[in-house]
Amino acid sequence: MIAVQARRSHRAERIAVFGLRVAAGFVILAMLALLGYLAFEGTKTFYVDKFPLWQFLFSPDFAIDSGKPGAAVFIAGTLAVTLCAILIGGPFGIAVGVFLAEIAPLRMTQILKPAIEVMVGIPSVVYGWLGLTLLVPIIRTHTSSPSGFGLAAAGIVLAIMILPTVITLSEDAFRSLPGALKEGSLALGATRWQTITRVLLPSASSGLAVALILGIARAIGETLAIQMVIGNSAQFANGLFAPTAALTTEIVTDMPGATEGSLLEHVLFSMAFLLLLIAMVLIVLVRFALRKRS
Amino acid sequence: MEMTAVPPRGKVKATGSVRARKVTDNVATVVLWAMACSIIVMLAAFIVYMIYLGGSALSLSFLFGVPKETTAGGGIGPEIYNSFYILLMTLAFTVPIAVAAGVYLQEYARPGTFRNVVQFSAESLATVPSVVMGLFGLLVFVYLFKWKFTALGGALTLTLLNLPALMRVTQEALSSVPDTLREASMGLGGTKWQTITRVVLPSAIGRMTTGVVLIAGRIFGETAALIFTAGLSVPFNNPYDLNPMRPAETLAVHLWYTHSESIVPDVDRIGNGSALVLLLMVLLFNVSARVLGRQLTKRFTGRYS
Repeated sequence: MIAVQARRSHRAERIAVFGLRVAAGFVILAMLALLGYLAFEGTKTFYVDKFPLWQFLFSPDFAIDSGKPGAAVFIAGTLAVTLCAILIGGPFGIAVGVFLAEIAPLRMTQILKPAIEVMVGIPSVVYGWLGLTLLVPIIRTHTSSPSGFGLAAAGIVLAIMILPTVITLSEDAFRSLPGALKEGSLALGATRWQTITRVLLPSASSGLAVALILGIARAIGETLAIQMVIGNSAQFANGLFAPTAALTTEIVTDMPGATEGSLLEHVLFSMAFLLLLIAMVLIVLVRFALRKRS
Repeated sequence: MEMTAVPPRGKVKATGSVRARKVTDNVATVVLWAMACSIIVMLAAFIVYMIYLGGSALSLSFLFGVPKETTAGGGIGPEIYNSFYILLMTLAFTVPIAVAAGVYLQEYARPGTFRNVVQFSAESLATVPSVVMGLFGLLVFVYLFKWKFTALGGALTLTLLNLPALMRVTQEALSSVPDTLREASMGLGGTKWQTITRVVLPSAIGRMTTGVVLIAGRIFGETAALIFTAGLSVPFNNPYDLNPMRPAETLAVHLWYTHSESIVPDVDRIGNGSALVLLLMVLLFNVSARVLGRQLTKRFTGRYS
């Protein structure tokens, strides 16, 4: 009796574990489907509409009606806002990460960590709305920019949005260092700041690289928050306060009006595929940095 | 993870007097404190500012009213309904798959190719920008399946988008359960399956719930992935339709749409009010994540943590 029960439960368990395996396999399937379908759809610009790849990547002429699908403006826009975001948000985030790992007393941690979690939770559109109602008018009144929309507004909004990612991951990087490193440095008479800058920062460098790369990944993919403040004009930004557009914002701006199978639609899918490839390259970089660490 | 110390490169020279070093140290401490505090001040300022802007917009007719196409005075009732509707559908799809996959990876999978490929796929899926996922949803649900814009298509797109995060939450919750619990259960003759369902999962449920509710907050505010899958409108005749095969504009999408496409004269009022409601919902999700997680941990394990 007991043996029969045990055998039955053994078989039930095998079926259950098979179910779990299928669920895990689903993740692979989803990623492959995404990659395959977007690759298929995203390359139609090149094999259906017969535009050369270099024209898409490097030509600044974006005029679909006259058959010019150059996306260089948007690629440059994405790079520029991401650079702005990481230049502001990167150092700031790492500094707060150090603070949380090495300096903050328990009470401060208990306030700061939930605050950071709320920042993660605030929807992209609400950041966009804050940028629109708070930041853009400030830029308009204090600079020569006539509208206030542009690179600077988008960069600042993005910098705030990537802060939680950079802070949390850099805190982890510092916390995973062996305590002997810090103790050794302090015992040799170094101050806390010297210990941080000369011992902990170099030792945590690969973890901090991961924090920055994932911050960059977040910035490159962010859409609506910057779409609401970047100005959405298909031109290179000739200054910090000039309106421009990024890959993500261009997709959201023009996709609702694009008909299925049109050149515009193909070009927008090519941009989405490019974004996907960038994201995957960044993930491989993260893996590389982590492997170097262990 | 083992970390190796990086020896200082080049010559290490003593710089400045002891006093100068102490001054630098103190200045640095003050600066770092100021930076950390500025984050809290900034967040508090955001919240106060949103309440200041949107507080006057909140009224019963706004929260429960129907949106208007061309005239002022539209409400956001159907949008709030759709946000919850899509959220619940998404969770119903995501939680079972993510928990199953997480349990498999953490408790069953041996290190090897399959596990590596699943992990790599999950990490890649996690970095896919939400707008790109939206276009994938457009391709599959709108073009391929010919569903047009539907609540179901939106929910399935969000499922793909949030699967990796929930898997991670499950894996972290499981790995926080001490191995001694597993050993005790197996030692008493429990099978691995019994150990997982009766010992490990109950111990992890508090942390898992916290993670799920936090992710629910993110699903609630998701926008870019829904514009091309769930659409920009609500059914005109029956805004509170239960049918999943109809367009379902959520609150976050409505905020974006009103600002960028709509022609109603009271855009600011609707935007301010919607943004405030979204912000308050995020705060609510964050608080309830903590409270629920703590309660469940206490009930299932008797521990406070």
